[in-house]
Amino acid sequence: MPWYLYLALKQLFPTGRVFPFFTFMSGLGVAVGVALLVVTTSIMGGFGHGIRGMIVDTQGEIQVVSPTLIDHPIALVERLEQVPGIAGATPFARGVVMLQYHNKPDFPEIQGVDLARVGKVIPFERYLVAGSLDDLDDDSILVSAQLARGMGMQLGSEVEIYSPLMLEKMKQDEILLPRGVRIAGIFEIGHQHLDRRMIIAPLRLMQELYGLGPTVHGISVRLKPGVDEFVLARQLNETLPAGLQALTWFESAADFQSVIRFEKYMVFFLLAFIVVVAALSIMSSLLISVVRKTREIGLLGALGGKPRQVAACFCAQGFFLGVTGTAAGLLLAWLVISFRNDIVRVLARFTVGEDVFQQFYGFVNLPSHTTGSDLATIIVGAIVASTLAGLLPAWRAAQLKPVEALRSE
Amino acid sequence: MSDAVLSARGMRKSYLSGDRRIEVLQGVDLEVRAGESISIRGESGSGKSTLLNLLSGLDAPDAGTLQWAGGPARVELRAEFLGMVFQSFYLIPEIDARANVLMAARMRGRPGPAERARAADLLDRVGLAARARHLPAQLSGGERQRVAVARALMNFPKLILADEPTGNLDEHTGDAVIELLLALARETRTALVLVTHNPAHAKKTDRQMLLHDGVLR
Repeated sequence: MPWYLYLALKQLFPTGRVFPFFTFMSGLGVAVGVALLVVTTSIMGGFGHGIRGMIVDTQGEIQVVSPTLIDHPIALVERLEQVPGIAGATPFARGVVMLQYHNKPDFPEIQGVDLARVGKVIPFERYLVAGSLDDLDDDSILVSAQLARGMGMQLGSEVEIYSPLMLEKMKQDEILLPRGVRIAGIFEIGHQHLDRRMIIAPLRLMQELYGLGPTVHGISVRLKPGVDEFVLARQLNETLPAGLQALTWFESAADFQSVIRFEKYMVFFLLAFIVVVAALSIMSSLLISVVRKTREIGLLGALGGKPRQVAACFCAQGFFLGVTGTAAGLLLAWLVISFRNDIVRVLARFTVGEDVFQQFYGFVNLPSHTTGSDLATIIVGAIVASTLAGLLPAWRAAQLKPVEALRSE
Repeated sequence: MSDAVLSARGMRKSYLSGDRRIEVLQGVDLEVRAGESISIRGESGSGKSTLLNLLSGLDAPDAGTLQWAGGPARVELRAEFLGMVFQSFYLIPEIDARANVLMAARMRGRPGPAERARAADLLDRVGLAARARHLPAQLSGGERQRVAVARALMNFPKLILADEPTGNLDEHTGDAVIELLLALARETRTALVLVTHNPAHAKKTDRQMLLHDGVLR
């Protein structure tokens, strides 16, 4: 090992001392910054990943849609199912209706699904908290848990649905009669947006409510494991008939995903300042070290050390502090992520209570998803910032003339 | 052919003090032969340390020439040509005595088993074999200076420049360090230039010189 690296290590970790104060405090700053960055990006990533899972579970990885109605959905479904990489496809129609129960109205989104095919694409059973898919027929619907709670509906409740088609009939002086249906099941997906106001109905019922006839709004597509949805969507767009477009889950929820991504970048940007402050702290400590060790620096020159080697000694200290602090930060982050739910529960218990926490924030269990690129960015960023922090002290050290440094008091 | 390890001719050095120029050295000539020991005495501020800085190549003269071992003095040769002992020891506090001695070799490249053995041997010869793993802070002043002497000898230098090496030691310890330095220099046939205030120490060298009014006599 070159003498300047050896000396840099020895100045940070002197013989016989395990945790020198300067090294500990400088490394701690980097460690806290790295840990916070990893934990927050992992949790933000976890929310994003979880939301992706929910979107995919409720609409498949890809949706084939058209600006107009799709006339022969079953032919298109069968054609899509021939494409390598596609596990299943199912038609859907969606819109908004007015739901009325005991004179209490609400305006949920409604999605009509083909009961014979939907199981290949959307695992509704996983999210059912009451009732059964087997009980779903053309005179019944599934409702989301929050909608059911908000309107006081239960399994078996009879409700009335008013569709926009009825408004058209009203214009033509036709009699307006709501469609009566029964609650055959209640589902809870785990995301407020999807659980708040959502109805799942058999496709025939939805077609009846909207007057669609045999047409649908789109086809949901489920891919085989390991297939890249973005690549397959590109391939489909090259082969689909004119007027049809394959959208990935990301594109069909682009606004929502962009908000999540923007929030993640903003949090990353703000927390990165902790690493910058830690790097400034390293710079300040190393500058003090240069002043304190002026005569030692003079000695190194007298022993034959070149100015660039003396500079490398101090720059290397910044690098080693960055590496040590980053390693400690990753360990700390791993611990926090491993015990994140226990930490949240303790916090909730000592503040508002778990129930209130669940009610207001919609979760008690924090998701976590750490990507390699996020980790690489944090690790490289922290080490580079720490190394750069050593540059100014290194330059100052290199500027010292041995003869003057040895003479200094 | 001359066996001079160091040859200085007409070396001059001046400093600006305010708007006044002080001529510290006014044409110093000095030749040091292999294995020879020379003492340089002089009043405080007479330029002894300035002269040593010039001889070691740490500072550049205003005029004059300097040769090491018959060739021009070059900074990159300093580590192998010169050993230096300072009044304030200048040991690196974070590493033990053995590592301090080995540091001189480490600065010339990766130390191998031969260098490690020599460091251990030198510490033995300065009487600190048992203290090799002690940090400088755990050593007395005399012990620290003995470590510095061992470090100065580590690279088999042709010349040792010692700048008041007993200045921070009590009389008894200082005497012992000078005896050790002279003995090791003779034993290894290393030339020694000793700057000292102490006439008794100066008398122990082969040649005594006095720096007065910027001239060496």
